[in-house]
Amino acid sequence: MAVAQRRRERIDRGIKVRTDGFYALMSWRELGYLTLPRFLLIAGLLALPFLMPSMYWQRVISIVCIYAFLALSFDFLAHFVGLVSLGGAFFVGIGGYMSAVLNTELGLAPMLAIPAATLLGAGVCTLLLLPCLPLRGVYFAIVTLMYPLFAARTIEALDILGGTDGIMGIDSFPGPWIEQYFVIGMLLLAIFGLRRLVNTDFGLVLQAVKDNDQAVRASAMNVTRFKAIAVFIGSAMGCLGGACLVHIYMWAGISQFALDFSVLPIAATVIGGAGTLVGPVLGCLILVPASEMLREFGTLRIVFYSLILVGFIVFRSDGLMVWARRKYHQFERWTEI
Amino acid sequence: MLEASGLMVFYENMLALNNVALRCGEDEIVGVFGANSAGKSTLMYALSGIMLDVEKKERMAGGERITLAGEVRYRGRDIMNLKASKRARLGIVLCPERRRLFKESTVLENLKIGAYLATAAQAKETLAYVFKIFPALEKLKTRLSGFLSGGEQQMLAIGRALMAQPKILLLDEPLLGLSPLMQAMLMRAVREIRDERRIAIIVTEQYARPVMPIVDYAFILENGSAVLEGVRDDLMDNPDVKAAYFGV
Repeated sequence: MAVAQRRRERIDRGIKVRTDGFYALMSWRELGYLTLPRFLLIAGLLALPFLMPSMYWQRVISIVCIYAFLALSFDFLAHFVGLVSLGGAFFVGIGGYMSAVLNTELGLAPMLAIPAATLLGAGVCTLLLLPCLPLRGVYFAIVTLMYPLFAARTIEALDILGGTDGIMGIDSFPGPWIEQYFVIGMLLLAIFGLRRLVNTDFGLVLQAVKDNDQAVRASAMNVTRFKAIAVFIGSAMGCLGGACLVHIYMWAGISQFALDFSVLPIAATVIGGAGTLVGPVLGCLILVPASEMLREFGTLRIVFYSLILVGFIVFRSDGLMVWARRKYHQFERWTEI
Repeated sequence: MLEASGLMVFYENMLALNNVALRCGEDEIVGVFGANSAGKSTLMYALSGIMLDVEKKERMAGGERITLAGEVRYRGRDIMNLKASKRARLGIVLCPERRRLFKESTVLENLKIGAYLATAAQAKETLAYVFKIFPALEKLKTRLSGFLSGGEQQMLAIGRALMAQPKILLLDEPLLGLSPLMQAMLMRAVREIRDERRIAIIVTEQYARPVMPIVDYAFILENGSAVLEGVRDDLMDNPDVKAAYFGV
């Protein structure tokens, strides 16, 4: 018989077990336990513009939120529908150009142009991606990677929509505060909205599509239709980000189809924790400002940036959010075997 | 030859193997019987070292915490912390549950991949041997293994394991989903392999009837514990075993 050995066990905290059912709430403490993480997220995001009052950092906050839209969209499509989309840049570009055209050609105010561009852009993205929906895994990823390149080169070659100069003279938001609280508000809406959506019956079907689409088909459900709706939701978030972006920069150009918009959200998802929805937002909150602060290092920026990413993937590949959630809900102790 | 004692495996806080002791002598066929979730596959993973790999993957991905404890000895040497690849080099070869063939490779390619550890001469000799005990495979040489029937796939899986020149072969539920005729044929082949190649074999199965005739010694797992063990004839006469594993 082997000598007595120990193992570290994880046990759910008592309060976690007590608060698992909403109707079992007995005290302010339990209520607080449930709401604290959500409250921290909401309050933290809302307080950000006050904590970072300089013009420069306010701009960074807006950009963080735009990347967060894309990261949410990637996380939703990849981990709840099984469509690994590298088309973040495509969504941003379509949403951006759509809002720019609505604003400059039709004279819609930004606050009208953005929602319109979100819905119209999502419709266009969904229609264009429709032929690719039967593809899975790496094939879908490759195809969606081609879309932004395709769009950017088309605009460049045909010299439409301002060609390489882009569309200038776009109205900005009515003010910096409105700009920031608009994107933050929309981001919070997107996080909690998606959180709800993935737990509805519809969300369950989407997750089933990810697990085994043949079984879903055998249950008499139209897989392509579900995927199309999911792509509409995902691309709507990307288009919203793009539409906000052009009104922040007051310019729409082919750099909105840049690969950054596809790649950085994925990195943020890896760091924040895949499949948690909140994680990717946290990832953006870390990565985007980090990339700004690393600007001082010039070209070495990419080196440090890559090191951070590699470190996370090697040592914490479960992501921050998964780790934090476990620490919040469980404690550990040694026991004799 | 292979000896385990005090073997414990935890999946998070769930006890999958509880203080299991098991031994398999030279040229012996040992049966391990148990229902679903009794811990048969966990035992095979722990013996073959795959468990270490599973544990590492789960740890990296932030999933379940798997804890292993106890001792596994192979010819007197403690191999508990040896990786699966190292154990395979020592001759402990697992033929996994559900076969896990290389689906997009042909039958011949599967066998050749299995021969990674063998010398060219050994590979040639074993290949001929595999085709001798499973003549069906020779006709299917160029077929993709994913398109074979269940029985053919299982033959291929055993053949592939043989190509690695095992000293002890771990067969995890080799009869899963096969017809009674195919089951009997496979079990005859397994006995033949033991007799002709002098390989020790541990075989797990849920239903003992087709396997019992070929085993020398058997263990019965229930809820992660080895509740009964004995030589074949003793177990066959045991009324509890008859009821639970022979359907009498």
